[in-house]
Amino acid sequence: MVDFSLTEEQKSLQDLARKFAKTEMLPVAAACDRAGRFPEDVYRKAWELGLMNLNVPTEYGGSGLSVFDQCVIVEELAHACGGMTTSIIANCLALEPILLGGTEEQRKRTLPAFCSSYHLASFCLTEPSGGSDAGGLQTRCRLDGDHYVLDGEKCFITNAPHASLYTVFATIDPALRHKGITAFFVPRAAEGVVPGKDEEKMGHRASSTSTVKFDHVRVPLADRLGAEGDGFSLAMRTLDHTRTPIGALATGIAQAAIDYAADYSLKRHTFGKPIGEHQAIQLKLANMAQEVHAARLLTWHAAWLIDGGQRGSLESSIAKCFASDAAMKVADDAIQIFGGYGYMKDYPVEKLLRDAKLTQIYEGSNEIQRIVIARELLTHYA
Amino acid sequence: MSADVLVVIERRGAAPVRAALEATGVARRLAGPSGAGRVTAVLLGTALEASAGTIAGLGVDRVITVSDPRFDTFQTALWAAAVAAIARELSSSVILLAGTNNGRQLAGRIAIRWDAAAVTGIADLSPGAAGEITVTRPVFSGRAFQEVRIGAPRVVLGLRPNAFPIPEASSPPAPIAEHAPLELGPLPSGGAVTGFESAQSGIGPDLSDATVIVSGGRGLKGPENFRLLEELALSLGAAIGASRAVTDSGWRPASFQIGQTGKSVSPQLYIAVGISGAIQHLVGMISSRTIVAINSDPSAPIFKVADYGIAGDLFQIVPALTAEIRRVRGS
Amino acid sequence: MELLVLIKPVPDPDTRLRPNAAGTALDTDGVKWVLTGYDESAVEQALLLKESAPGSRVRAIAFGPAPRTEEILRSALALGCDTATWVEQPSGLVPDPMLSANALSWACQKTPFDLLVVGKQALDDEAGVVGPAVAERLGVADYGPVVDLRWDPAAGKFNLARAVEGGLERITASGPMVVCLQQAWNDPRTAKLQNVLKARRTTIDKVSWAEVQAGVGPAVPGTRLTSFRLPPPRTGAKMIAFKTPEEAAQQLVRLLREEAKTLP
Ligand SMILES: Cc1cc2nc3c(=O)[nH]c(=O)nc-3n(C[C@H](O)[C@H](O)[C@H](O)COP(=O)(O)OP(=O)(O)OC[C@H]3O[C@@H](n4cnc5c(N)ncnc54)[C@H](O)[C@@H]3O)c2cc1C
Ligand SMILES: Cc1cc2nc3c(=O)[nH]c(=O)nc-3n(C[C@H](O)[C@H](O)[C@H](O)COP(=O)(O)OP(=O)(O)OC[C@H]3O[C@@H](n4cnc5c(N)ncnc54)[C@H](O)[C@@H]3O)c2cc1C
Repeated sequence: MVDFSLTEEQKSLQDLARKFAKTEMLPVAAACDRAGRFPEDVYRKAWELGLMNLNVPTEYGGSGLSVFDQCVIVEELAHACGGMTTSIIANCLALEPILLGGTEEQRKRTLPAFCSSYHLASFCLTEPSGGSDAGGLQTRCRLDGDHYVLDGEKCFITNAPHASLYTVFATIDPALRHKGITAFFVPRAAEGVVPGKDEEKMGHRASSTSTVKFDHVRVPLADRLGAEGDGFSLAMRTLDHTRTPIGALATGIAQAAIDYAADYSLKRHTFGKPIGEHQAIQLKLANMAQEVHAARLLTWHAAWLIDGGQRGSLESSIAKCFASDAAMKVADDAIQIFGGYGYMKDYPVEKLLRDAKLTQIYEGSNEIQRIVIARELLTHYA
Repeated sequence: MSADVLVVIERRGAAPVRAALEATGVARRLAGPSGAGRVTAVLLGTALEASAGTIAGLGVDRVITVSDPRFDTFQTALWAAAVAAIARELSSSVILLAGTNNGRQLAGRIAIRWDAAAVTGIADLSPGAAGEITVTRPVFSGRAFQEVRIGAPRVVLGLRPNAFPIPEASSPPAPIAEHAPLELGPLPSGGAVTGFESAQSGIGPDLSDATVIVSGGRGLKGPENFRLLEELALSLGAAIGASRAVTDSGWRPASFQIGQTGKSVSPQLYIAVGISGAIQHLVGMISSRTIVAINSDPSAPIFKVADYGIAGDLFQIVPALTAEIRRVRGS
Repeated sequence: MELLVLIKPVPDPDTRLRPNAAGTALDTDGVKWVLTGYDESAVEQALLLKESAPGSRVRAIAFGPAPRTEEILRSALALGCDTATWVEQPSGLVPDPMLSANALSWACQKTPFDLLVVGKQALDDEAGVVGPAVAERLGVADYGPVVDLRWDPAAGKFNLARAVEGGLERITASGPMVVCLQQAWNDPRTAKLQNVLKARRTTIDKVSWAEVQAGVGPAVPGTRLTSFRLPPPRTGAKMIAFKTPEEAAQQLVRLLREEAKTLP
């Protein structure tokens, strides 16, 4: 039986996330956005409640949630602040390669630390020379006895300045393209690991993003994830799992845009009535509602497939791509409904637009998502 | 049939509390004119004479004093037992309690002891036919009103403070009689009062929790004039808020700002002083239960959303208002 | 220490209130019921006391209909209460606060306790009779509205402060007793995710309505709701006419007291 309703358990998780978002995130969201402040106190609190390592199984001390449950939580968090949400769920992204590609020994060695005290991890794939073309990455790993030596630079790495562990994708030989990519986990403390300075960003300003330089970093053989050359597939499988929650993140931003805009439309009067009674505004609100509803259902559907054991590449691409485009459109409409006030930083909606924009870019740009979708579609006709 | 009402008089020092005077007036309304139903006021404790005398002159049919030092401190179980015993003895149908903290605490206890219904927080009431009483009470922090019809033969009614007028003095005063010592049987023993701290003046409540907010705008002309608002706030136990014109000018810190880009508040009473009523300000305070506006411009938009308006110079109105509130609140 | 805490499901404070079709009560359609306000503070206080006296246990007790009552009991369990009792309210019954107090007192007398914590009033109907009424039924002392409450392990007593007009009364008392808490003087915690999940699997003890009736006698509400309405929409201020500022002040104060009834 298909069922579109949340279980009581999921509703409780939703309530928890909503409460955290409202009481801990929202009150500082605007100030963090303005100052570009990384609110570590909020992240620590999120960690304490168990909102940080959502995908890590309970046997390692994590929350052990399904992708669907993660989506329910992420949407609520993003309603208050997309940037903080990205930083809160960055551990899920960074630890997923260990969950998927690590041996039991490696998982036991790495994961419990993140669940027994507050630590951040970062996922290091993107490089200055290119993000979309992950097969073309340039960071080198060279075997030297029982160690690899890592050399190269990653960029746009979420939480990098604050992380204690990095999952890193490097190549044994750039000429091998995909086939040369190999994954490792590397502690921040390793010699030669140098995170850069925090980037000044358009949105997601409560999150922290920087380069990470690997300068002759010696990584024990035992810290390699999978075999040499397994890295590309591991990265892709990781993103298959984390892409859907990005759809939920975008949905949360979009829902916030509707909530602010609908409320405002009943309070602001022009020509003798609330603007929400002018048909032009109503049509806009109706379109916004459709976008968000569709975004949420697509996200839920992708999550449901993945939890059911399917790969869900196509559906998660559709969900992420649609939801992030929807968030942009809906945030844009919300600003329009607010008029000049919407353009002011004193009002909450312009931030939504800036935050929404990232969801079209990271975890696979929407162009790349469309390539995936089209390729999958065309296989059925070829 | 008219009600036989027993009204409990609480005192502070030698005088009845204001809320008890209000309750005395309500008791008369419930009982109907003298001769129809009967109003009995009861006072408990020591040195009751002065208070009993005051109450006797407020239109009650009689005053009962229970001179017993056990009642000089408030213990709910003891007070409830005493009031219930007297009500039983008098075959009262209504026990009326003032809207004080102690009155609030007594209602449920008396109702169990006296096997009665209990309704509290009453802001208005009307005795109906067949001995039924219908009361109105604000609920959901004043966001809605509930009407409750009471069919029970005995009921404990708790009033909201400051919701009813004080009755006019009447003559001749009602007789005052000392009750025989009360035998109340075994009761749970209350704790020992170890101290009293009088409320600190000067430190107002937090804006978001405040039940009354006095808010100032550009009409105050300068930071030094906030003194006027501070005095008004003190007389009401209110918190102080401000419009953005004020916080932007640095007359008050940004944490005082109410409105779209400041705090959203919904107190019972919001007094806007020298605030024009821009929509960005209104969205932060429109859900206040009662809004008062004081503004020299009769066409200021704030008057469209206010419940009460005074079109006048705040520099004259505010001091007069502070004085009047001090007078009626007796502080 | 054995602690009981009484809680009640109330509409989320963000709910847009609407009267039902008959205009007699809140339209509960689509209302989200939550543990909040005074009750949340009461649970927090019970948990703080539990933490201050090792070996203590907290039982949350609620009276109300399915499913909302069960849900708020689960919220209380997720926050750290050890056990929960649900006194089932039959559908169709519209209880008044005294009836609720009777039903709750029946559940309370099943567990010997040192301290029973309850909100000073519920956030929705603001009756404030339940705590003292339960205390009377159980034959124990009650204190309220309490703004500070601590356990003194050396003396084996509670130190508390209750608000009275003009100040605070400090009291030392021993249990069993009932404390009616003022809201928002503690900072209620948020439940941990794992505890939220665990609370869903905890068994909640149930007390049936038949048992309550057998225990406390046939419960018939003594009151009936006849109307539920919202304040009328604002149509512009009543402007006060005056000759002197004093006259304006007097009129305003009179209106606030007698008409608006919002002067403190
Ligand atoms: C705030 C922020 C946080 C980030 N966090 C992380 C992180 O934690 N870890 C991490 O590894 N990365 C992270 N990224 C990087 C992000 O995933 C990349 O920016 C993204 O994948 C795009 O890569 P790029 O910026 O190099 O753009 P490019 O790959 O240079 O692409 C430029 C443009 O060309 C388009 N394009 C590229 N190839 C094609 C094609 N074949 N057909 C059509 N169009 C194409 C792209 O869609 C894009 O519009 C983050 C980025 C940002 C901004
Ligand atoms: C993006 C944006 C966000 C904003 N956010 C907020 C917000 O959060 N909160 C907010 O308050 N505003 C906000 N504003 C500002 C808002 O638009 C108004 O400018 C502001 O509220 C005006 O403050 P005011 O009423 O104190 O001043 P004014 O509009 O200047 O009004 C002063 C009033 O005082 C009266 N007055 C003068 N002298 C006397 C006297 N002697 N006695 C009695 N009355 C007198 C005048 O008649 C006048 O009505 C925002 C504006 C923008 C553009």
